[in-house]
Amino acid sequence: MKSESLSRSWQDHPFSRLLINCTVTVGSVLLCLLILPTRLPGMELAGIGPNWLLIWVVAWSVKRTMLQGALAGLVLGLIQDGMTAPSPTHVFSLMLVGVLTARLRKERYLQEDFISVALIAFGMAVLAETVTAIQYSFQGDRSLVEIWTYHQLIALSSAILSSLWAPVLYFPLNRWWEYMSELKVL
Amino acid sequence: MFTLRRWWERHRLQIILASLAIGSALFIRQTEARFLFETYQFLTRPFQQAPAQKAVLENAQLRDLQQRLADMESQNQRLKELLGYVSQQPAPGIPAPVVGRSADHWWQQVILGRGTKDGVKVGDVVIAPGGLVGRVINVTPNTSRVLLLSDPSSRVGAIISRSRFMGYIRGQSTNRAVMVFFDRVPDVRRGDVVTTSSFSQLFPAGLPIGRVESVDLNKSPAPEAIIEFSAPVSFLEWAVIHSHAPHPYSTVPSNQEPNPAP
Repeated sequence: MKSESLSRSWQDHPFSRLLINCTVTVGSVLLCLLILPTRLPGMELAGIGPNWLLIWVVAWSVKRTMLQGALAGLVLGLIQDGMTAPSPTHVFSLMLVGVLTARLRKERYLQEDFISVALIAFGMAVLAETVTAIQYSFQGDRSLVEIWTYHQLIALSSAILSSLWAPVLYFPLNRWWEYMSELKVL
Repeated sequence: MFTLRRWWERHRLQIILASLAIGSALFIRQTEARFLFETYQFLTRPFQQAPAQKAVLENAQLRDLQQRLADMESQNQRLKELLGYVSQQPAPGIPAPVVGRSADHWWQQVILGRGTKDGVKVGDVVIAPGGLVGRVINVTPNTSRVLLLSDPSSRVGAIISRSRFMGYIRGQSTNRAVMVFFDRVPDVRRGDVVTTSSFSQLFPAGLPIGRVESVDLNKSPAPEAIIEFSAPVSFLEWAVIHSHAPHPYSTVPSNQEPNPAP
């Protein structure tokens, strides 16, 4: 079979396997970054779209260590700062999401992957927007009432949309990473 | 030494990959995602529609009003010239399609599909059919990022065009904004037209912003009014970029010399 020969060739050449793995990972990040400024019909709620970078960080950290989760949060947070504005920074919220997702004892509370990823994405989206809102409160150039009423709106819409779209990104990426780690073990 | 080397041998790959990732993220942040926006513009170009099509669809009544307004403006210009004002011929703007929105939910920004290649600069003023919408804050060769008036961090000096009472406008993340007055008891009514004031350094004076929707004179410390933007800020499809060099406090005509004594 073709896929078997492909996996055998990847098994024999660890360097090319690494290269392919990196390409797929970076490619998925790039895809998320390019979807971020769009507001496709059916993908938005009151002008707010899903938080694709948060979904990616959750998908990445679900089966990884806290350090790796924090690293993903740092990298994507810096990029999102470049795309919008550096203050308040997105690094804190995404790093926290990465660390907490890696920390969660999923096997104890949640069994089914599909439900658990959606639930994690929901909680993490609320958390990330709350971290941003807290940063705005300390910055002090907007009134607290404004910040927290707006926070309610975007935390809820972004959490709903992110949790609904999370499996779309999580499943292919998870399958790919599992496949890659199987090849490494064999 | 040996343990250090062994540790390095074991983690070499991970450390190199991690530093590579952080390095490129820092690079993207420093260049303000220039490369990403260029790629985005390149990929979405086939889906963008030409702004010229939209202009054709404008209805006849609007065109009639515009012509009458242009007539009035030229008449006004002539009267100003008679009085000795500097005549400023506004340069034609650059029409640009809106290709994307802000990359997060807290900022009210749009991405336009024209950049430095078409002569857009940072600080240029963006006007949509209806009125002022914002200001260019970042340009790449083919895209430009606009901070909308509806963003809470953008503040504009504004004036009630009927009674000439001044204040400033603060965005509310929606298609409404709050205007805070400088005077204790301003003469303002529902439906009054609000334009940019001559105190605004970032925008030229006299651009229409919106209409007063409601007034709260008892607000402390200063009376406030809710303004509804006349341009459709939340569903923009195209806009026109006008170049504007910020000039601090040029409210006095510059070429007017003190009258010689008779």
